[in-house]
Order: sequence, then C-alpha cells, then structure tokens
Amino acid sequence: MKNLMEHMGVEPGRLQFSWISSAESTKFVDVVTKVTESVKALGPNTNYVKKSGAKG
Amino acid sequence: MADFEPKIVSFLCNWCSYGAADLAGVGRAQYPPNVRVIRIPCSGRMSPKFFLAALREGADAVWVSG
Amino acid sequence: MESYIGKIKEISERLLNDGTVECVVGFRKGTVALTNEPCMITKASDVQDLVWDENCRLNLANYLTGRKEKIAVIAKGCDSRNIVNHIIENKISREQLVIIGVPCKGMVDKNNPEVLQANCATCLHRNPVIYDELCADLVEEQKEVDRYEDVRKIEAMETQDKWAFFEDLLTGCTRCYACKNACPLCYCPTCFVDESQPQWIGKGTDPIDIRTYHFLRAYHCAGRCTDCGACEAACPQNIKMRHFTKKLEKDCNELYGWEAGLTVDQRPPLDSFKVDDPDKFIM
Repeated sequence: MKNLMEHMGVEPGRLQFSWISSAESTKFVDVVTKVTESVKALGPNTNYVKKSGAKG
Repeated sequence: MADFEPKIVSFLCNWCSYGAADLAGVGRAQYPPNVRVIRIPCSGRMSPKFFLAALREGADAVWVSG
Repeated sequence: MESYIGKIKEISERLLNDGTVECVVGFRKGTVALTNEPCMITKASDVQDLVWDENCRLNLANYLTGRKEKIAVIAKGCDSRNIVNHIIENKISREQLVIIGVPCKGMVDKNNPEVLQANCATCLHRNPVIYDELCADLVEEQKEVDRYEDVRKIEAMETQDKWAFFEDLLTGCTRCYACKNACPLCYCPTCFVDESQPQWIGKGTDPIDIRTYHFLRAYHCAGRCTDCGACEAACPQNIKMRHFTKKLEKDCNELYGWEAGLTVDQRPPLDSFKVDDPDKFIM
C-alpha cells in the first residue's frame, strides 16, 4: 500500500503506521509527538488535495 | 513555515491505540493537538479508500495505528 | 500462431458435439482492424467463426465469473493464470471448465503490429499453467528478460518527479472504465467508483479523482494481477496503467516471493497471515 503511494509520488511521511498496546499511553504520546513533528517538517499536503470546490 | 500546524487524521483501533489514547487522557499526558482521531473497530477495518478520501479532503497526513 | 486454429476448432467442435460443454469462449474476428473480439460459441456449426492470431489480446478469464454451466475456454499463459485466480477466489469451479491451452508466442502491440506488446515482451509464463487439452506443443519460455526495468526507473525518481510522471501518464484518461471492464480481476458487483453513500471518488475527470481511481483499481489487483495487459489493450487513450500494477507485482514478488495464478493449492499472500510477514512499514 504505502509502497505504491510513494511510487506514485506521495511523500513517504504522509501515511504512517504504528502499533501500540492499550496499556502503552506513554508510547502513544511519544508516537503522536513523533508523527506530528515529521509531518510538520514535511509541510502541508499540496499534491493529493482535490482542488475543485465541491466536496467529494 | 514555522507556524504550520498539520492536520493529521488518525485511524485508531478500538482495542489498541484508542485504548492507549484514552489512558493518555486519563493520565493527563500532554501531546500535540494536531491529530484528529477516528475510532475504527479494528485496524483490519482500515481501507485504502479511507486515507485517500482523507488526503483528498485536505488532511496533511494519515496515521493508522493498531 | 495462426496454425493453432485448426486444432482449436477441432477440439471445440468435439466438445460441443459430445455435450461435454455448453459453450466455448474464444475469439472471433473483430470489427476494428488488428483486434479480435471475445465470443461465446454455443453451436458446433458456429465453430468456424473462431480465430486465433497475434491480436487476441483480451483475457478470456473475464467471461467465466460466476457462470453456472460447463464451459470450455481457450487459454493462453496469462488467461490460464487468471483462471487459476478465479478458481482460488471461488468464482468458478475447476470441474466446470475444460481449458484448451494455447502455448502463446506473445500478442502484438495494438498500435504497432511489428512489435510485441510491452507485457508480452517480458512475459515469463507463455505456456498455460493449467489445461485439459493442448492445441500445440509447449513453447520455450523466455529467459533473462528484465521485467521490472521501468518500475526501477520510476523508483529512482524524486517524489515530485514521480508525481509529475503519473500526472503526465494519466492526462488522457476520460474515466471510461474500459480498463476495469477488460480486467478479469474486476468482478465486484458494485465497484467502489459507483458507490454513492459514501462516495469515495468524484465522477468527473478531476486529476485527483482520476488518480484515486487508478490507484485503487491497481491496489485491488495486488497479488492477483498476472500482467496480462488487457487493461492497456482496452484503453482507447493508450494509457500505460500497467505502471501501477507492475509496481505491486514487483513488491509481491520481492516481499512474499509470490507470483499470481501459478497454482490452485496456495492461498495468496494478502489472504494469509504468517508470523514472518514483512512489517517494516510499521514504526
């Protein structure tokens, strides 16, 4: 999935996967922080947004 | 773009990460407010349609967590 | 390959006459030059309509989905692999089928009859993998062809170049869905493009909608695509949408060592779980 996305020219960080158990709240906080930072570094999503006004 | 606040659509499994998010809330942990959580019954519910729709509608990233 | 037709007609006539099958799926002369069209023969006297040459590009497995009667089908290498797919996915049972195997030497490009079409030029399975009757001796398989040259070329690009490459690739698309109709894998009763609640994808020719369509169509073929080239053969705009499916095919090959439609005894990788499945994408 991710491979084809990237193949198609969507930046690698736009789609992220992780695995957290329900007992790992600290890991959750860690991962949220990490994901947010990496996306911040990536900048806004400009490619894969539908530009025409009407929704969907 | 120093003040860029991304919108991250996150699909969290009800039994795993959603539980972790709940616990993080109960424990009053601080974390970035950029994630918009969508609860799914299991990560197996995830479909490529979902995140394509999210990106298409303007999300900056999609995060799937089981 | 024209020499096969005598044998094909002979077998078809015999099967129809003795009642082994109710119909034969094959090709007849099309109305457009350099294109043969699929047809279903139900009467032994119509067997003369059948043809076989280098213009039989479409995949006949497409016409077997959910059939109830006994059917004979003429199958080149890729058709036979898609028939295996159909059997694995319970779209038809092996007992219903009489497979007339055709050792294939490749179909010619629809725009240039001098050269083989792209997927045939790099094909590794020209002989049918499953058959009941054979209309000629098996041909020698191609060796040492580089199947993924174009995929690697795209993989080496920068993100923005990739985006531009596919933007350019898809500019002609009018969303006529010829590719999905020709594809033997696309048999869902309601395709995601036709679903309206929720509507996953817009109906127009917005570039993002086009891209979403091609992306999802390709993704639905992951681990199932046999690279038969029916999609490209059917495309009126000559879009090379195999660039999408090829990538998935390569990944399946590299990650799971899987090639679609080679055996009926094994479940496909996206359908089975193994403890050592690759999980590098999870952080």
